[in-house]
Amino acid sequence: MRRRDLALAVAALTAGAPRLPRAQGSQVVVGTWGGDYGEILQQGLDAPLARPAGLEPVQDVAPAPPRKAKLLAERQARRGSMDVAALSDVDMYELSQHGLFEPVPALTRAAAVIPALRKPYAVPHIYSARVILYNPARVATPPRSYADLWDPRYRGRVGLSDLLYAQYAETAAIVGGGGPGDFAPAWNKLREWKRLGARVYPSNEALAAGLKSEEVWLTVMWLARGYMWKQAGLQIEHVVPEEGATSITYEMGVPKNSRGKDQAWRYIDLMLDPRAQGAFARRMGYVPTVSDAPLPPDLARQISLSEADQARLRTPDYGYMARMAPDVLEFWNREFKA
Amino acid sequence: MAALVLPAALLVLVLLVAPMAMLFRISLNQYSPTELMIEALSPENYLRAIADPYYQDVLATTMGVALSCTLIALLLGFPAAYWLARMESRWKSLAVILTLFPLLVGNVVRAAGWMALLGRDGAINAGLMGLGLIAEPLTLLYTRGAVILGIVAVVAPYMILTLASVIEAIPRQVEEAAANLGAGPLTGFRRVVLPLALPGVAAGSVLVFILCMNAYATPVLLGGPQFKMMAPAVYDQFVKGTNWPFGAALAFVLLVVTLTLTIAGSALLARRSRRG
Repeated sequence: MRRRDLALAVAALTAGAPRLPRAQGSQVVVGTWGGDYGEILQQGLDAPLARPAGLEPVQDVAPAPPRKAKLLAERQARRGSMDVAALSDVDMYELSQHGLFEPVPALTRAAAVIPALRKPYAVPHIYSARVILYNPARVATPPRSYADLWDPRYRGRVGLSDLLYAQYAETAAIVGGGGPGDFAPAWNKLREWKRLGARVYPSNEALAAGLKSEEVWLTVMWLARGYMWKQAGLQIEHVVPEEGATSITYEMGVPKNSRGKDQAWRYIDLMLDPRAQGAFARRMGYVPTVSDAPLPPDLARQISLSEADQARLRTPDYGYMARMAPDVLEFWNREFKA
Repeated sequence: MAALVLPAALLVLVLLVAPMAMLFRISLNQYSPTELMIEALSPENYLRAIADPYYQDVLATTMGVALSCTLIALLLGFPAAYWLARMESRWKSLAVILTLFPLLVGNVVRAAGWMALLGRDGAINAGLMGLGLIAEPLTLLYTRGAVILGIVAVVAPYMILTLASVIEAIPRQVEEAAANLGAGPLTGFRRVVLPLALPGVAAGSVLVFILCMNAYATPVLLGGPQFKMMAPAVYDQFVKGTNWPFGAALAFVLLVVTLTLTIAGSALLARRSRRG
């Protein structure tokens, strides 16, 4: 009797087991940031578009670095844990060099994607540009260029986020006469910035708090982030630097070991829908990556670049940045922050 | 009887020894930005971790903070543990629960509390400025002091409970006998209670020291971007730098240093305890 009871119990337990693995054909595990990004994905894409299309999106939430490490750690596993990976263009390029992502197939919405943003290994989701943010109450003459942030007038008043060290290296390189593909002049410019008392905050949120309390007056940040901070009541204005702004694109890719590639690509296709794109523009200030999602003029004025600034827009040199990544991190940790 | 150990031993083997062996293997590889790592059997990462002044500094900071925290936790914890051990009221179990209470709140949440207290616009600065005692906010957050304060608050319960259980086992009569023989409270403590409590001091200090050496969340959140301890440095190498071989080597350096200091410290206390 006892043995039969046990057998029944085991049977009952294992009967539930097939439900443990994903329901075939509908679940999509999306590796994404938490906070606003994850929330807008849920509200602007998952609920109104993906679920009605029969997909079941599930978010694997973490900041980008641990998700990158996870994708790398799983790269030799036959079955990975993510179906869609959302990352910045710089991170996505770096991982694509490890051969992590499926080539992008022919998507229904492919034609709508802005040609300059297309990649063979990822689909662009949203984009913005790196600009200068300043507090108009404290900075009487608005800065015009990145170089103005090295003005001794702003000693101790430039705030930086610990997360954007690679972007600051590129900014410093540009000011020093280099550029996205030449960081050689960056090191001395960064040393100079440090001598001028540039403050490093542990996160973008901490930097926002520093701007709010007027501990710092200026920073280099994504225009979209500046828009969000302004919406949240921060007293800031933005300037597109004379040297030209550098673009930042957030992208989505499908890992080669995804267990549901078909539904992953369907999800990404829906992500390009003008309605989902509009949600990110309104809430986070990121510009749509498709040409058929026009923004209301007032919003467009706040979050997109003028035609002249568009013409001067720089794209990061992904290959160079990936090669320089270890050196930049070392310099940032050992010299700049020391 | 030996078979009873088997399930636990197997678990340790699978969950601890195997990953450690893998990590050790990785630490001998070479880093490559494009291929993650190249198979090798090189001591290069260890040599760099030991010889590089930057990581020497990080290790020294880690040891300094861990020793300070252990000492402070011991000094603050001993009286509390003594009081707890000698308590006879019906509130004793409540006092034990209260000692344990901080452990019910995660490290990150507790650090967030400290940030709200110590920040530029935090409660302490707001209070001092409100009272007119200071004109400019003090820099309390993102300092070594904030990290030590935060870690001590995390480890104090471990120290107190370890000490209390040992002090409880010291018969009260021994103390009374010392008093009868003319020992004042201080002499009684120094000559009788402390020597008998030394095993507890050793156990509590070892436990706390190991926790401090490996602290991650508190130094990251309260130390800020400029403050570096070993555990965050290991994380940085793995996750931000994707330099797994060097991160693995740093992890083993931390492990060996912690183990050496722990063994040396325990041996020292054991010798004192034997000498009485």
